[in-house]
Amino acid sequence: MKVRVKADMCEGHGKCEKTAPEIFKLGDDDVSIVLIEGDLPKELEEKAERAYRLCPRQAIELIP
Amino acid sequence: MTAPAIEPSDINLNNPGHFQREEFHELLRILRHRDPVHWNPPGEVSNGFWSITKYEDILFISRRPETFISSKGIAGPGIKPEKLAELDFAAQQQNAGGNASIITMDPPRHVKMRRLVNKGFTPRAVNAMEPEIRRITNEILDRIAGKGECDFVLEVASQLPLAVICGMMGVEQEDWPLMFELTNKVLGSGDPEYQTDIPEEERGTGQAARLTAMKGLQTMLEYFRGVLEDRRQHPRENDLPTILLEAEVDGEKLTEGDILQFCFLLIVAGNETTRNAISGGLQVLCQHPDQKRALVEDPSLMDTAVEEILRWTSPLHHMARTATQDVELRGKTIRAGDRVLMWYPSANRDEDVFPDPYRFDIRRTPNDHLAFGIGEHFCLGAGFARKELKVMFEELLRRFPDIEVVGPPERLRSTFINGIKHMPVRFTPER
Ligand code: HEM
Ligand code: SF4
Repeated sequence: MKVRVKADMCEGHGKCEKTAPEIFKLGDDDVSIVLIEGDLPKELEEKAERAYRLCPRQAIELIP
Repeated sequence: MTAPAIEPSDINLNNPGHFQREEFHELLRILRHRDPVHWNPPGEVSNGFWSITKYEDILFISRRPETFISSKGIAGPGIKPEKLAELDFAAQQQNAGGNASIITMDPPRHVKMRRLVNKGFTPRAVNAMEPEIRRITNEILDRIAGKGECDFVLEVASQLPLAVICGMMGVEQEDWPLMFELTNKVLGSGDPEYQTDIPEEERGTGQAARLTAMKGLQTMLEYFRGVLEDRRQHPRENDLPTILLEAEVDGEKLTEGDILQFCFLLIVAGNETTRNAISGGLQVLCQHPDQKRALVEDPSLMDTAVEEILRWTSPLHHMARTATQDVELRGKTIRAGDRVLMWYPSANRDEDVFPDPYRFDIRRTPNDHLAFGIGEHFCLGAGFARKELKVMFEELLRRFPDIEVVGPPERLRSTFINGIKHMPVRFTPER
């Protein structure tokens, strides 16, 4: 599974970083950055799904 | 004797009385348990609609802004097409500016418009404003400090959101009472108390509500026409009207109608919701004296307390969408063109998401409530609302730890806003 943040939707609420700091980091411009390029390690998939669900802007995309 | 059980088919949520009398939690619970995708039949003037009461289903709908659109209306069931002409409502709306604001705009234009202003609402921008918010809060509290009692809604809860949003819009302080009055007319239009332009014997009807909302809208647009006139001559720094005047979308400047609707939305959306979260928050804290005391003694509980206040009060009862195609949901078919109402207080008490949901708990974690909606239209002002609540309760409980509600709050008659119009409080005055 890959993760992407839609930069035009993200507004820096930081829920993603709080939920999954291994995967997301808020950049200086208040847009979330995905730290892991390519496929996520299996053990992080659940956390990614949780972040996807909680992002208030639904800015996170999970690509199977 | 027990009261006869209420069947889902008996429930009509298009009745502001249920909300004024606080019967709605029980009705929503019945729907959520027994008919979570519930068809509410049409009324005399208003459309029928689907009542959505499960958390998961509100996520489902909010994730699909192309399938469930906002541009046909976001509040209430809407008026039957054949009645619109009769009521002369559409014609009036045209005169009032015609254009839409982001809250009634769909993709792809929605996000482009939203991005014109959203940098002013990020966590960073909100944090930068915190000292100013604290200063305003203490100014408001200074005015009641010696009195020992007041109407908490008029003198405290309404004043902070009004000052913050008017500050961002560059509205002069002498005009804040006017903005307060107009917001009440627009969002509280169904309540006779705000129908002051209507002869007394005609107040309380649906028509009185529509005319009141219209009058509020028109007066506000007129006011901001004047503001724009001024900013064209004298642009200001960090001023939302100036930013909107200078902004471009797809290489084109916004029309005056677009800008006016945007200004109108910001004033209205930022005011009444936050006011009711503050009033409702103090009410629920006073109903739970042990938790109020815990918060007075340990202000580090404030962040989770604010989230619980938001979950508990759910200041907006619902937001509406219109389906653009047939959609199956829990065995029901929502048809293209049908109106859908997402009931936030119900999602926020959904047993599948919140353990023991009818318990107020200032330490509740996690607390992923939907008081601000979610997705495409997620509340633009959520950061400001959270900060205003936090600072207000920090300062209020620090200065007046024994503040108590001393009479029944007077509730707003509305299916849209979970409002408190008046709430008497008493406290030991500062010397
Ligand atoms: C506790 C206070 C508040 C609550 C509960 C609240 C709730 C909401 C909700 C539920 C929506 C979603 C609308 C939808 O899905 O159709 C929304 C949208 C919006 N809110 Fe708030 N709000 C609050 C405070 C504020 C404040 C303080 C501001 C401005 C400073 C504001 C500005 C807006 C705007 C502009 C939108 C439209 C966003 C869009 O359509 O993209 N709100 N609000
Ligand atoms: S939670 Fe969503 S909006 Fe917030 S920073 Fe993360 S991706 Fe962006």
